[in-house]
Amino acid sequence: MSEAQNMLWTTLPAAAERLSGIRAWAASRRAAARGGTVAGLVALLAVIALFTPGAFAGPAILSFLTSISFIGCVAIGMTLITISGNMMSFSLGATTAGSALVYVAALNHYGFWFAVVFALAFGALMSVAQGALIALARANPIIVSISTAVLFYGAAQPATKGDTFYPSVAQPDWIQAQLLGIPAAFVAFVGVLLLGQALLTFTAFGRRIFLVGNSVPAARAAGLNVPLTLLGVYAWAGLFAAVAGLMLATHYNRGSIDFGTGYDYSAIAAVLVGGTPLSGGEGSAWRTFAGVLIIGAVQVLLLLHGFRQEWQYLITGIIVLAVIVLNTRGRG
Amino acid sequence: MSPVPTERNAAGEVLSIHGLSKAYGGIPALRDVSFSLAAGEIRAICGENGAGKSTFVKMLMGIITPDAGTIAVNGTAAVIRDVRHAQALGLGLVAQELSLAPHLSIFDNIWLGSAEVPLLHRTAALRERAARAMAMLGVADWSLDQRVAALSLGQRQIVEIARLLARDAKVLILDEPTATLSDIEIARLMTVLRAVRDQGRSVIYISHRLGEVFDLCDSVTVLRNGEHAVTGKVASFTRESLIEAMLGRSLQDMYPPKAGPSHHIGGLRVKDLNVPGTFTDISIEAPRGQIVCIAGQIGSGATAVTRALAGLIEDASGDVSVDGRALRLGWVRDAVAEDIMFITDDRASEGVFLALSVLDNAVATRLSDYSHGGLISRPQLRQIGARLARQVGIAERHLHAQARTLSGGNQQKLVFARAVERTRPGVLLMNEPTRGIDVGARADIYRLMRSFCEAGYALIMTSSDLEEVVGMADVVYTMYRGQMVARYAGDAIAMPRILRDIAHPDASREAAA
Repeated sequence: MSEAQNMLWTTLPAAAERLSGIRAWAASRRAAARGGTVAGLVALLAVIALFTPGAFAGPAILSFLTSISFIGCVAIGMTLITISGNMMSFSLGATTAGSALVYVAALNHYGFWFAVVFALAFGALMSVAQGALIALARANPIIVSISTAVLFYGAAQPATKGDTFYPSVAQPDWIQAQLLGIPAAFVAFVGVLLLGQALLTFTAFGRRIFLVGNSVPAARAAGLNVPLTLLGVYAWAGLFAAVAGLMLATHYNRGSIDFGTGYDYSAIAAVLVGGTPLSGGEGSAWRTFAGVLIIGAVQVLLLLHGFRQEWQYLITGIIVLAVIVLNTRGRG
Repeated sequence: MSPVPTERNAAGEVLSIHGLSKAYGGIPALRDVSFSLAAGEIRAICGENGAGKSTFVKMLMGIITPDAGTIAVNGTAAVIRDVRHAQALGLGLVAQELSLAPHLSIFDNIWLGSAEVPLLHRTAALRERAARAMAMLGVADWSLDQRVAALSLGQRQIVEIARLLARDAKVLILDEPTATLSDIEIARLMTVLRAVRDQGRSVIYISHRLGEVFDLCDSVTVLRNGEHAVTGKVASFTRESLIEAMLGRSLQDMYPPKAGPSHHIGGLRVKDLNVPGTFTDISIEAPRGQIVCIAGQIGSGATAVTRALAGLIEDASGDVSVDGRALRLGWVRDAVAEDIMFITDDRASEGVFLALSVLDNAVATRLSDYSHGGLISRPQLRQIGARLARQVGIAERHLHAQARTLSGGNQQKLVFARAVERTRPGVLLMNEPTRGIDVGARADIYRLMRSFCEAGYALIMTSSDLEEVVGMADVVYTMYRGQMVARYAGDAIAMPRILRDIAHPDASREAAA
């Protein structure tokens, strides 16, 4: 971390002096791995937070942990997709909204546990269907995900008649409980984070995600089951997005088609800021966790400083572009 | 680096290079190479892959900057800044990938990007010079207004040469010009290059094809492991002595002894294998314990035969069996289930997982074998990966290195690691197994292949390197344009007939008749 800070503070003025300095800076930055960017951003945010009244107050922290949990679950799923070499999905936000709607609708008819199972199954299936198109029909993953999102919103609007669903039956109390003062949503997010990282590190499936993500032709020539791996990736991504949907539905006590709006982009931002490259075959859930913290902190700090929602999008966009530029410089 | 004035060269010396060196990240690609070229000389540069040929050419063309050394053109030392500067000095390169714009005319292409052309190049003087360049090459009858897209690859190459002549290049550098040409086109290129020499211009001719070196060139410079090995008149070399100069060792040491009488039974049997548009009715027998080579040039279909057997070509058809068990074609996983393993000639995109570690690569195909309920044990995998790497000769310290940081030879060994430690001996299908691999690693890989043989594997390899075919094969099949030409075994395996088969099969059929 200190190396990254040194790099930032000592080499920037030098870089301004000489063009070659910038090149050297870019090269050393690359060598210091992507962790440098993350560490630099965290340090910057910490400094800003110190000068932000209310940033370390209890309620602000709790609301921060809760809000990053929703996006965080989606981002862990997104990480799997990115590592698998399929770059990103623009339908995970729609999956989140759909799962929340399915949960509330099923809750009113079949009870809590069935509703949870239905919602998770819905999320996984919606995503696996895309995985099938991508893995078997070799369709472009981004186009497939955008089409799916459009299809979902097109179908959900008439199906819900534009209404928000409210639960009419009681839900277990513990879903709103706090564990040692930590919001339930954040506990669930940490669970998803650990599960996601465990999949990547400790399962044969997880290692195959890296292999397929690094090179599909090499994976095929080696006899690995590429389609099955990709189906698995999309299933888990959908499942994690559905967890976000469940958490939103229980947290706000309703299901809405508007849930998950903008989550795709925030999740992509978190993955990239965390340092998982779009080229695939590399990355981790930990990195994405760092990315989620950064993106979440930026949004909360902007909010505390009284900036409106649009500013959050603007600043998030700038951060993502900056990270992409820094991480790709000199590699092409 | 500062330009050191060199003393005046002997008359007629167009290029004089002293002590050229270049290292990438501390690893020398070229060390202290000196070189001089006379006007009207055709010089071959030979060397294994990785010997430093392309580094040398790139420095001449200003694409990379030397760490040390001087380049003098026509007796004047120069620090070549970029390709344009190199061209202005009279150096011109015909690269492996041609740089013509297909939708423009020959005339447009000749002057495209030239520094001396004003905004509009359609002046009579420029047209005249372009026509003169074409005439020098004996192709004055080609219309200058013809679109390049309508020309064959060989014709395009001649346009590239005309382009350099029109710009008055004194030294033409050709990098593997014949790799993609047909025999007739190669013959015409030779004629063209002799015409260039007769103009008093010089040619640097880089080629793996020794036949062309002996046929065309006046002298030859051999580079080996980035160093200058020897330079001499072509007439002072024999084929064997030139190869040995390139390898740095005698040919006998390179290849392990061939298979003795085999005690293995079974193998791969291929009958009437077809891939539409690529090859027809190929039948091969690959008994366990032997190395079968399919020799053929680019376009012969040889590499597609092994791909089809590996299940990588969906519309392949034919009767294929392993130890008598029928194999379904078009499914890699069916092939893998029969322990058929494929080693590609396109290592970078289809062989190794470049972004992943040596360990990840080594265990890539064995994750299922070593997982319990889908869970893997990382310490166990590490142990297995280290063992596999050791068996193919990769040092354990590389285990966590990214595969892309390995040499070509080590990358290839890593792919071979898939084949070791199987519960039963398998079938190894290899396309150009030593392409892009230095001499030392090559010998290692040949030994590795023989050890698979002794363990009862059936091996089929394709190769366009005839030395390798003759050195390694127990059985050779020759292919030409999608057809099987002949089968040779034992003492019948000899370079001249294989060469004849893959280049002029009709001639060899007549000879056989």
